[in-house]
Formats: sequence, C-alpha cells, structure tokens
Amino acid sequence: MLYKTISKANFKVFINEVIAGNVTIAPKMTDKDSEGNPVYQFQQVYAFDEIALNYTKTYSSLKNFFLPFKESLSTFQFDKNEWKQKIEYSIHPRVIVGVRACDINGLLKLDNVLMKGKYPSPYYVARRTNTFLIGLDHEPMADCFCQSLNSDEALHGFDLFLTDIGDKYFMQINSSKAFNLFKNVQINDIETEDEEKYIAEKKRIASLFKTRVAITGLSNLMDIEFESDVWKKWGDKCLSCGTCAMVCPTCYCFTVTESIDVSLKFALKEKVLYSCNLVDFAEVAGGHNFRPEPATRLKYRFYHQHRGFVESYDEPKCVGCNRCGIACPAGINPIDVIHDLRMEDVK
Amino acid sequence: MEYLGIELKKPKVSFFDFTCCEGCQLQIANKEDTLVDFLSLVEVVNFREISSEKKDHYEIAFIEGAISRQDEIERLEKIRKQAKLVVALGTCACYGGVNSLKKRFSVEDVVNEVYGHNPVETLPVKSVKEVVAVDFEIPGCPISKAEFESIILHLVLGTEFRFKKYPVCVECKQNLNHCLLDEGKICLGPITRAGCNAVCINGKLPCYGCRGPAEENNWPSLKQILTEKGFSPEQIDEKTSFFNSLTEVTKNES
Amino acid sequence: MSYEIPRENIAAEPFMAGPPDFNRKSRLMQTDKVYECMITNIVELTDMEKLFHLKIMDPGESRLFTFRPGQFLMLELPGFGEIPISISGSSAIRERIGLCIRKAGKVTNMLHKARIGTKVGVRGPFGTHFPLERMVGHNILLIAGGLGLAPLRAPIYWVNEHRSEYADVAIMYGTKRPKDILFDYQFDMWGKIYNYDIHLIVEEPDENWKGRVGLITELFNEVDIDPHRTYAIVCGPPVMFKFVCNHLNQVGIPMDRMFVTLERRMHCGMGKCCRCMVGSTFTCVDGPVMDYWTVMNLKEAI
Repeated sequence: MLYKTISKANFKVFINEVIAGNVTIAPKMTDKDSEGNPVYQFQQVYAFDEIALNYTKTYSSLKNFFLPFKESLSTFQFDKNEWKQKIEYSIHPRVIVGVRACDINGLLKLDNVLMKGKYPSPYYVARRTNTFLIGLDHEPMADCFCQSLNSDEALHGFDLFLTDIGDKYFMQINSSKAFNLFKNVQINDIETEDEEKYIAEKKRIASLFKTRVAITGLSNLMDIEFESDVWKKWGDKCLSCGTCAMVCPTCYCFTVTESIDVSLKFALKEKVLYSCNLVDFAEVAGGHNFRPEPATRLKYRFYHQHRGFVESYDEPKCVGCNRCGIACPAGINPIDVIHDLRMEDVK
Repeated sequence: MEYLGIELKKPKVSFFDFTCCEGCQLQIANKEDTLVDFLSLVEVVNFREISSEKKDHYEIAFIEGAISRQDEIERLEKIRKQAKLVVALGTCACYGGVNSLKKRFSVEDVVNEVYGHNPVETLPVKSVKEVVAVDFEIPGCPISKAEFESIILHLVLGTEFRFKKYPVCVECKQNLNHCLLDEGKICLGPITRAGCNAVCINGKLPCYGCRGPAEENNWPSLKQILTEKGFSPEQIDEKTSFFNSLTEVTKNES
Repeated sequence: MSYEIPRENIAAEPFMAGPPDFNRKSRLMQTDKVYECMITNIVELTDMEKLFHLKIMDPGESRLFTFRPGQFLMLELPGFGEIPISISGSSAIRERIGLCIRKAGKVTNMLHKARIGTKVGVRGPFGTHFPLERMVGHNILLIAGGLGLAPLRAPIYWVNEHRSEYADVAIMYGTKRPKDILFDYQFDMWGKIYNYDIHLIVEEPDENWKGRVGLITELFNEVDIDPHRTYAIVCGPPVMFKFVCNHLNQVGIPMDRMFVTLERRMHCGMGKCCRCMVGSTFTCVDGPVMDYWTVMNLKEAI
C-alpha cells in the first residue's frame, strides 16, 4: 500500500480522465421517497459533476456489477440432434467510484465464496479482476451498523481509497493499475499535517455510529433460538418478496434456468439471483418444500448470515449496511430482529 | 419436427376474441423478429389479427376477453366442444379484467351511460372459467409475449410450463427500481405473480396485480402496511379490485 | 486526456485449455462446461424409473471422470435444465455411467422420452462419498427405501468388486408396492455370487406377493446386527432414515458409523447457489453423504 494525497481539484481532473477512457459507474440520485429524501443508485456516469460524492447510501448494493441479476452461463447451439455448448467470460474493464468501506467488505465476503471457495467462479473472477474500485470514506447514517460487524473499514479489495481531509484527499493506492493512472496527475507525499488530519477524521467517523448490534455469541444463539417465537412474529409480517436479498451486497444465492429459443436453434442457460425468502427456494423434484412457511424462510436467511457463513468463513455474511431494512416493504430490519432474538421480549 | 431426438407436436391453434381490446393478440402479432419462428411451431387456423382464413378444425383454442353477452356464452360453449384444450389468454379472460369495473354499477346504469338511447343487451362480466372449463390460464394485461412464446414451446415440446411462484418485487428490484410503496403509492407488487419483468414499475406506475396472486401472498401484512401508511379501505379496495384478479386473496380474510 | 484501464483476459488463462476436473476443487476452471455424453442404453425398471447408461464421448474427458460411490453429478438436458442425480453404477467401469432416474419434473419427464443415441451433458462428480475404505473388515448393512436403492447400487458394486475385504453384508429393502421394487433382476446375483443376505418388504402387497408386508423397520426382526462390527448405509426419504437410524442407535451402532444421503435440489453442485443448504451445511459439498451424527446436529435436516 502506498499513501499519498491528491488535491480535490486534481481529483476532479483525474476522474474526468478516467471517465473519458472507461465505463465508469458512480452513485447518482435517481428518485425521492415520500418524505422527499433523495434515493441513490450506482449508475454509469459521463462527467464528474454527475457523481453524488456526498451520497448517503445507495438503495441497491453494487453487487449486480459482479453478480448480475441475470447472467448467461452458457448457450447451446443446435444442429438437428447435435448440440454444442458455448461459454464466454468476456468483460470490459470498468471503474466504480465512491464505494463505501462496507460495500468493499461485502465484495471481500463474495470473494471468499466465489474466488477462494471450493470451485472459484470464472464468471465472477472475470468481473472482479476487470473492475477498478475507488473507495471513499463517509459519515455513517443513523441506521448503519457496519461498525458492529467490523465492516466500517476496508483494508484491501480496492484499487484506491480516499478519505476527505479538507481541501484534499488522503489516498491509499493499492494496485499497480492505480499507481500507473497517476503518471499525468500530480499527487503528493504525505506530510505530518495530512497524517494528523487523517487520524482525526477516522476518529470522528468512528465516533458517529449510533446503531449497534451485538454480535457476540449470535452464532450460537441462532442454533439455540431455532424454535423461538421471534421467527413467527417477523415471519407473519414477511411478504416473501425477496426484496432484502436483491438489495443485499452479499446475498449471492441463485437459480439456474434454461430456455429454448422459438427458432429451436439455440438454448440459453442463465443464472438468476434468487432469495431464500421466496416460496419455492427449498422445493425439490416432486414438489416437496423443505421450508413452506414464511417464518422458516426468514429464519433461514438470518441463520445463513450469522451461523452458516460463520461456519464456513469465520465471519458473518452481513456487513451492517441495513439496505434490507430500508427496502423491506414490511419494515423488517436486522437491527430489530437480532435485538428481539437476544431479548426474547416478544409481545 | 424433432428436438434432441424427441418428436415434437405441431398443434392446430385458434385465437378467439370476446369482450376485450385485442391487445393480447396484438402482443403475439407485433413482435416481428420471432413471429415467423413462432408460426412454424404451430398451425394457425383462426387468428383475426394476422389472417382472414377461418376453419373449424383446431386443437387448442386461445380465448381472449371476458364474457359479457348471451351470444358470447353460446359462442364460447361451441368452441369448448370443438377444442381439446381451452386456454384463457390475458387478464380479461382469466379474471374478467378491466371489464369487471362494470360490477361496481347496475347493468341498467352501465347501458344508459355507454349507449344512452340505443341500449344493447349485456350481462354482468364473467371470466372464461365461470362459463366453461378452462385447461390453462395465461394472465397479464397485456400478456407477456416472451412468456407466451415459452408456454407455446413447452406445449410443442410436451413438457409442463410453470409460472413463477414469487411476486413482482423480485423482478422490480432486479431492475434497480425504488419501491413505490416508499414513494407514497399503493403498489400490489408484493402479492402479484412475477413474470412481467415489473414493466409497470419500471415506468413508475404501481402494480395493480393484473397477473393474479403470487403463490405466497401475505395480503394481511400488505393490507396492514398500506393502512399504516394512511390509505383508507376504499383507496385500497379501488386498486385491489381493478382487474378483479386478486379477489381470491383480498376477500378471503375475515 | 483519458486513461484506459487494461483488460484482464480470463479466457487466456491456462485453465481454459483443458476440460474441467471436478475432482480438483479450488482450482479455477470452466465450472459450467459439461462433458458431452451419449445415452447408450435405457432400461425400463418400473413405470416411473428408468436406468440410463451414459458414455462420455471425448476419450480424454472420459479418462478424467472418476467418482466414488455416493457422489452425484449434474445431468444437463440442453434447453430443459440441469438436475442432480446420484451415480447408480460401478465406479470401476469407465465405459458407462449408470443413472437411475425417476420421472418427477421437467427434465426427468423429457429424459424418459429420450432414445438411445440422444446426446446429454454431465458435470461432476460432486459431493462426498461413502467411506468404504474405513468399512474394510466390518459387516455392512445396506438399507434402502423406495428410490433409495439407486444411490446404494454404487457402494454395492464397490463391495462386489472388493468382496473379500468385507465381512457379512446384508441388504434390507422396502418399497410401497411390489411393482415399485427396483433392480430385482440383480438380487439373485448379489445373493448367490456375492453372498449377500437380502431382505425385502412392501407396505401394500398385491395378490402375487409372497414376501414380507410392513414397514422397513420390521425387517430388523430377521437380521442379526453386531453393533461393534457393523457399518450402516441408509438411503431413503428422511422419515424412513430417521426411524431406521434411531433403531440402529438403540441396537448400539455409533451414530458416526451410520451413513445417509440427503436429497435437496442443487442448482450448481459447487456450494454456490445455496439451494441445497441444510442449516449451515451445503448438501452438494459437505454432503450428500453424511454420517448420522452430523445429520442429527443439523437444523432442519430431518
């Protein structure tokens, strides 16, 4: 890791030049909610000024750039009774600007499953290695609980990471690709004053967290409270609509579907991201459903987040962004559910 | 025709329209890039929008539209006798659709409002299954052409087609939409069957449930959410009864 | 000025060259590439089940494909879908892969219409296997209910091929009706040549049935079990293996000497899609073969 600073004016020049040469994705305001609050999404940008660098958090995570909601796994070309399979991992390099630490940590968790797991996914590896990530520190929202999950700081998994220290950014350069980009833009060595400002800013950000979720022992609690009434309470509210998993930065489960073209000349095998809350998630051939009730499916989602994933990778799957809590139409959020589970104060 | 060494059928199909806008037939006819391939899969015997040819020998009858006159009932019964398979096509045929709004008024008022001094004979609106036995239903206002083609392919290949069991929200969030419930609108996506690619919500229009209920549809919870957001029972009922497609879900709770 | 980020071409990586080797986990490879196979034989077992013989067409890929009894593969019927099927043949025979398939869904219904010569695809093998090396020198109790005999056939072939290494072997097999009995044409061979003690039972007999009637657990009355020298392999629906394993537990067989296979609907076979997760465990990677102690301690397994 190299530590440098860049002036905000130069950063703008730099980003505009990045935009000119690459598909660049950044947070943009896309909607307003009923109270007039802006809603942000990661979208392609064409100029620095389109980027909402001071965004709160995007409504959906950026996982769909790495795990598209729909992705072709292969195509089959038919010629009478003969067929050939075709697979492609072609992906153009792209840049994502303004990624929060929690989202980078979300990607690191996906890396564990899809790059370092038992069968690394070439589809994911192609997307991940061709994405240039520029991270950006920010003040937490009132509902952010990434600090409780150790996700409020990204140690790796990005190319550049910036912290606002007044009129310049304190910059962590974490790849040779990133270093090469600065050949024509002036960046400066760290001075004592920059260091002090950086430490102060980090401290200030860390002190701003208002929401805490107690994680200690949660993994065992998931087992112990498997039959708890808490699941029924929240399950009754659950619409089984899958919204939580779609906006989640780390939910990666999927379904594989195949469809034949009307010409009968080729077929497409697609991976479609799914949700464990959907009614037929655990259905098997013949129609038996291992999780027919909304409550058991909702429970399973938490169980995977805080027990199953921990068993495999020694850390929870959740990064504490509360996107699921914001997007859930029924107002179910992990903060309340985990709190309920710990207290057992079901009304 | 063969596929992977498996013999394919080439069914004779007919399309018939009843009380409707014929928009579902138009969906089938107006996607030119796949129309030729589609027409080679089946033998079209009757299809008013693309051919003037008419014959009485067909195996599958697609019925578009709701049933709202006595002569329609008689025509439909004749079709049922002829066809091996009767398929209700579109929300009107499956549930009554927009035509069901007529239920909110008396038949006399409706005739008076629409036809004034030249009254015509009309009946309360019925779905196809309320008149004759239906073998398969393809909902949607209009139907999704992609889904329809997939259903025909399944038919030709002799394999079972399954609708998506989950609600519209999945496709909506996959299209990176912001939840319209959060924007102060009544959206029935959470209880409506997916398969439309959330086309209305992509255009910022809330879901009215034209595709009927999803397999798991927690109406009591959605109703409570809407009530807590300040919507009155009348406002809610106006949306849920729009297509008459969610009645089985919304009227069930006591 | 503009900066262009250089492209990393995954397709140029060495893994692209060779066929995927699913026995070597954690190596980057073309995880979704299928081995092209020809259906070389179809045996009608019952109204619902057929035995398919597949041959991997490429000799190089055929050499690469080795499996252990208990493992499954993903069977691809292009355009219809891919399904997990446990391998139901001998792991020693390289020329054919045996799959016993019940008509249950879209893919299997289509497969039942397929003819000899139809080309299909397979990926795999995936999952855990029965620890037959550990069972050497011991008695083996093979217990199957219904379609559960299909995955048991692979360990049966293994034991046949290494018969002298094992002590007493008994098969207990129960089905609903006599006409549901699978592979009845092999029972004589297993009994006479390989000296298996074979016990059958049905729940609903027809007029021609002369054997035992009742649930599979009733067969325990006629089989002597030495709990200190016996390993059990149990395949069948969860209710069945729960009752069977509870009985074996009472007899005194340690739970980590009973092995069951779990059935879930895998979509990937590689611990990614989460569809086959049972509690915190992936059936496709940590299973499908598990010892009963592990299964007992899994949430929602039974």
